[in-house]
Amino acid sequence: MKFDTTDAATAHTPPAQWQGMDEYLGSPEFLAAVANEFPEDAAEFADPVSRRRFLGLMGASIALSTGAGCNLRPAAQRQILPYTVQPDQVQPGVPLFFASACPVGGYGEGVLVRSHEGRPVKVEGNPDHPSSRGGAGLLALASVLDLYDPDRSRQVTHRGQPAPVEEAVAAVRKLLFDSQGRPKANVRLRFLTGTVTSPTLAALLGELLAAFPQARWAQHEPAAGDGVREGTRKAFGSPRTVTYDFAKADVVLSLDADFLTCGPGSTRYSRDFATRRRLRTEDFIKHLDADDKAKYVTADRLNRLYVVEGMPTPTGSVAEHRLALPSSQVEAFARALARKLGVAGAPAGGAEFDNHPWLAPLADDLAEHKGKSVVVAGDHQPASVHALVAAVNAALGNAGQTVFYSAPVAARPDDKVVDLKKLTEEMAAGQVDLLLVFGSNPAYTAPADVLFADAVKRVPFTLHLGTHVDETGVLCHWHLNEAHYLEAWGDVRGHDGTATVQQPLIAPLFQGVSAIEFLSAVLGAADTAPPGGPVARRPREGHDIVRAYWEKTDEVRKTFPGFTAPETFEVFWQQAVRSGFVDGTRPVSGKAPDLAPNWAEGLPAPAAPASGDAYEIAFRPDPTLYDGRYANNGWLQEVPKPVTKLTWDNAAFVSPKTAARLSVDKTFRWTGGEHGRAEVTVLELKLNGRAVRAPAWVLPGHPDGVVTVHLGYGRPRAGNVSTTPAEPNAAGDPVRGFNAYALRTSDAPWFAAGLAATSTKDTYFLACTQGQWSMRQKDVVTGHEWDRKPVRYGDIALYKNNPSFAKIPPTAAGETDLINENVPGPKGGHSHGHSHGKDEKNGKHEKNGKHDGHEGHDGRLHPLTMYKDNEALVPGWDKLVKNGQARRWGMAIDLSACTGCSACVVACQGENNIPVVGKDQVTKGRAMHWIRVDRYYEGSPDDAASLKTLFQPLACVHCEKAPCEVVCPVGATVHSYDGLNDMVYNRCVGTRYCSNNCPYKVRRFNFLQYQDFSFSTLNLGRNPDVTVRSRGVMEKCTFCVQRLRGAEIVAEREFRRVRDGEVLTACQSACPSGAIVFGDIGDPESAVAEWKREPHNYGLLAELNTMPRLTHLAVVRNPNPAMPKGA
Amino acid sequence: MPQIFPKAMNPIARAVILGLPVIAGSTGVGLAAFYRSGYATGIGEIRPQPVAFSHAHHSGQLGIDCRYCHTTVEYSHFANVPPTKTCMNCHQQIWQGADMLDPVRKSYKEGTAIPWERVHNVPHYAYFNHSIHVAKGVGCVSCHGRMDQMNLTVQTQTLLMEWCLACHREPEKHLRPRTEVTSMTYTPDQKGPDGNRKRFTRDDLPNRGRLVDDKGRVTDNPLLGTERPDTQAEMGALLKEEYRVRNAVVLTNCSMCHR
Repeated sequence: MKFDTTDAATAHTPPAQWQGMDEYLGSPEFLAAVANEFPEDAAEFADPVSRRRFLGLMGASIALSTGAGCNLRPAAQRQILPYTVQPDQVQPGVPLFFASACPVGGYGEGVLVRSHEGRPVKVEGNPDHPSSRGGAGLLALASVLDLYDPDRSRQVTHRGQPAPVEEAVAAVRKLLFDSQGRPKANVRLRFLTGTVTSPTLAALLGELLAAFPQARWAQHEPAAGDGVREGTRKAFGSPRTVTYDFAKADVVLSLDADFLTCGPGSTRYSRDFATRRRLRTEDFIKHLDADDKAKYVTADRLNRLYVVEGMPTPTGSVAEHRLALPSSQVEAFARALARKLGVAGAPAGGAEFDNHPWLAPLADDLAEHKGKSVVVAGDHQPASVHALVAAVNAALGNAGQTVFYSAPVAARPDDKVVDLKKLTEEMAAGQVDLLLVFGSNPAYTAPADVLFADAVKRVPFTLHLGTHVDETGVLCHWHLNEAHYLEAWGDVRGHDGTATVQQPLIAPLFQGVSAIEFLSAVLGAADTAPPGGPVARRPREGHDIVRAYWEKTDEVRKTFPGFTAPETFEVFWQQAVRSGFVDGTRPVSGKAPDLAPNWAEGLPAPAAPASGDAYEIAFRPDPTLYDGRYANNGWLQEVPKPVTKLTWDNAAFVSPKTAARLSVDKTFRWTGGEHGRAEVTVLELKLNGRAVRAPAWVLPGHPDGVVTVHLGYGRPRAGNVSTTPAEPNAAGDPVRGFNAYALRTSDAPWFAAGLAATSTKDTYFLACTQGQWSMRQKDVVTGHEWDRKPVRYGDIALYKNNPSFAKIPPTAAGETDLINENVPGPKGGHSHGHSHGKDEKNGKHEKNGKHDGHEGHDGRLHPLTMYKDNEALVPGWDKLVKNGQARRWGMAIDLSACTGCSACVVACQGENNIPVVGKDQVTKGRAMHWIRVDRYYEGSPDDAASLKTLFQPLACVHCEKAPCEVVCPVGATVHSYDGLNDMVYNRCVGTRYCSNNCPYKVRRFNFLQYQDFSFSTLNLGRNPDVTVRSRGVMEKCTFCVQRLRGAEIVAEREFRRVRDGEVLTACQSACPSGAIVFGDIGDPESAVAEWKREPHNYGLLAELNTMPRLTHLAVVRNPNPAMPKGA
Repeated sequence: MPQIFPKAMNPIARAVILGLPVIAGSTGVGLAAFYRSGYATGIGEIRPQPVAFSHAHHSGQLGIDCRYCHTTVEYSHFANVPPTKTCMNCHQQIWQGADMLDPVRKSYKEGTAIPWERVHNVPHYAYFNHSIHVAKGVGCVSCHGRMDQMNLTVQTQTLLMEWCLACHREPEKHLRPRTEVTSMTYTPDQKGPDGNRKRFTRDDLPNRGRLVDDKGRVTDNPLLGTERPDTQAEMGALLKEEYRVRNAVVLTNCSMCHR
């Protein structure tokens, strides 16, 4: 008999669900590391500290701590600074919410921003906004940290010297207008922006274009393609914006589109899509009202998702069928499919896919669901694919049903717009007099063949408006510090065109200006324009500018009768600002447009696959840094990227087979702390004579022969988060990651053949969290690895046959009745169904053996605990029940709906003051996120077709019988009467026994002082309702206890129950797909109790009798039986 | 090696060894006493304020209700210190020129806050909530003392955790009818102006004295109009029931106050 052996020499069988290549292959480093939660050096000073330095530090810290500790009354030094005149609605201590919209890539996502005494602290989704519907994407959630970024530019500068903003306005006006205030008609003015959907900004730019015939508008949005615009132009004769209704789609085919987590509208799409994934029994749905009914689906209405994609994305991961195909081959596949579907006029090409095993069943499935399917093409696919997809959707009758075409949302006057390449050519030729850059950063994001940084030096006057003095800002003569969207008035349109008036929550921290304020001043600053001159006086304040636009616009007149009357306008304005969107501004899509007769003419032939020794390279926006604009946002740098689980870096992603071909080491050679420090091979990537050095990352599910790189890293001037003298990148530069723009060219922005990749002898350390907090454990008796079956998975046939399939105990210990009290079985089906809930209401608990002769689902069941129920330990529980005060907080996560997008992680970080620890600390397993999204694979890494990717968000499960509590020597973690596993920071002495004993590995320890108090701006952004933890303290998910107690107090004040849904945890409120529910499981009517009664609900590691309050609903998918095996 | 200590040291050494428990004990007692002393807790310490505001005058003599200035005490965790505007409501009319009020006028004119020195300090990690205490019938005087007799505000209670817990363990000792929460002179046996025992009014009872049963029928609380008990023991027990104040175990859960 072997006890707790760590002998790695024994033959290795990979577990059914594995987290990374190393676990699959059983590399010795991994096996050694996994046995040890806190490896040898986790608690050590990892930096080489000399003895002398150590003594010096110790001396200093003793001196300091004595000094600080001697103050016996540290609290007694505070002051109270009341308002002089208290603003309306403000009650000190009670937060307020304001509606706005967070611009992401030019499109607005509706948000509600929580403000504590005038400080915006937390961003949440706006349930009424069509681009949000209550959820919030990763980037919107993290945007509040950008506001407080200490590296933001703080002043206007002219050639590096501080200057007043008026001087900048005067300088521009001097070039644009003559002494009489008349525009100089022949000024060759250029302005450069990203995608602009703001009606006010577009109107102001339009005025400039009208006043200066030589002016041109350059648009450059590096992470968005022009495929949709040009494809619809080809298909319909004019460009359109395409929106989808995934709630109505039975079958969805994505051609390289990550529509659930990336791009405009993804938050909304995620929400809609999930309504067809949240599987529930008839019983569950029966008594819901119509609105709620639409949020769930019964077994016969589950949707089905096919994804053909290159780089594995969250969308591909949750697909029923995923085909890994190089992005360049997607078009050929699409053509073959269009022909198979009999789309009239479908172009030739793609014959190699005619006999593909996917084609026939996929085409049949789509044809069977005419008008109830969606085909969606990725943003980075060429226009020809988008034109083809438009034709396919038209042929399937989806246009007007599930796919909608409307007037373009983004402002783009075609005859006046130039692209970055053209602009750069003009600048290089000295044909530009004046360049104004608004928020765009082409010096970093320009394709490698567009030498913007050189050309900009040839323009006699350049001005940059941006939040940072970035790569472009430093090249321009003038730099204006831009106001953040939470600081300035503005407006923006959502993915479907719905406009939002953005209201500021705080005065600009550094007196920044917005683009509209600057332009308005340039166009007619009241003090510089001569009276009676051709340019009218106009407002200077952002509020007045936006308001003036909406007063003039025709857009809402039809929906708001009597609009022009001032008092009616006031009503309209208040309503628009308050609700966070302007009703009636969504362009009407109406009847589906007819295909242009010549839509298929002149489509270029599909790209050929990479041949010979060459590889294909694919470029993608980074899942968290987007095009690089968020490179200085610590939350976004540290959140593990949804599929790859990398933090702080990008990498060259290759499939295992390609890795073998490149002789890349597949086992990652973990070193350092909790196998978060992967030593990987550095690749040299050469394309068209340009080269970068990039760390290779072996990614199962990636197509062979392709190297995918993420844009957005390698920024030299983003700020201190992104610039790292101590941690050089693979090429030795002091920046985070490598700059993939250096390989990108303007003619092949998304994929290119002819990449030469060679592995070098160098290695590089990546911080990857995929192996951290592993729940693997060995049976102490047999020495066998327990198969935890963390994510339970089944297809619809299995579910119909046995809805309780997920409850099968994975190990010899039975799931007891007590477990099921917190994981209630189906109503009536098992002994602890509905009746349990009723008894609960009466404050009684069924004891074992009292059931009416009905056995549990497992014959091995027998009571395994000698302890009383938790509630039995609370005196007077019956009375609490009677008074509606007996709350049993619990959570359920529907894994069928989860897309792994990690919005919950960032939401939690913002709500709970969770610090950013930095790459070096992540490599030691010290990342502090309270909720993590585990990513498991099932299947063989070499076979992308059969590989399943599974996500599992996991926070503290608040065990009823918590293993952490019994081992704490100081009582720092104890149970509250309502079932919370409380963490008492002030009692914690940092033994870390609790974490050691936690089977879920959800506890986080502050090894160092991670909170950054050195920047006052960061202090403004902290949540005042949550303790800011210091060094040496354990912490973990609290179920957002501050929100619970807040809601409880409001309810108790009014002598009523806490209503179901009255309190949302941060993760629940953010979740774009609505996969998380929280509430009182003691109330049988509550949503969370209903969810937990579903048969496919299961408790993770419930076999340990921990009785988790957080349970998961198993993944149920709806694969097409006609599809080839293993697809 | 020669002896370091002379033999005469032996009794001293013995005394020290035997006296160790006493020394350790008295050190402990001394530290505990110091910890609870006015010096450490701040009881009785008069902190100089930018304006010599007297609660004794405003609340005691003029009889202004606490909530005229501390408006958020019923809705927020924080009982706000009033904005300068509240001061100026009256002081635009009376004592317009008083030197004492210079800082107030200056604050109002310039829009800068009056920097009051905080008297009642609770540590950052303790999340005390005024509104729930007021709603459940804990009087201002229980924690703040006789504000109506204080010129400059002083702290009268230790505000130590043991002091919080004492009440959370036995809340009934400090509960009073909700109409008496801001009263500085309330006692359970206090007689009304007519010389009789006071009676429960709608404002004393939850939901304005209305009870709703399972079927949605509304009835009046039977306590309405009845005479109040005149001992704290009876009153506390009754109000604890009526105000649904939870029991000691629940109220001493860590996460009640620490988040």
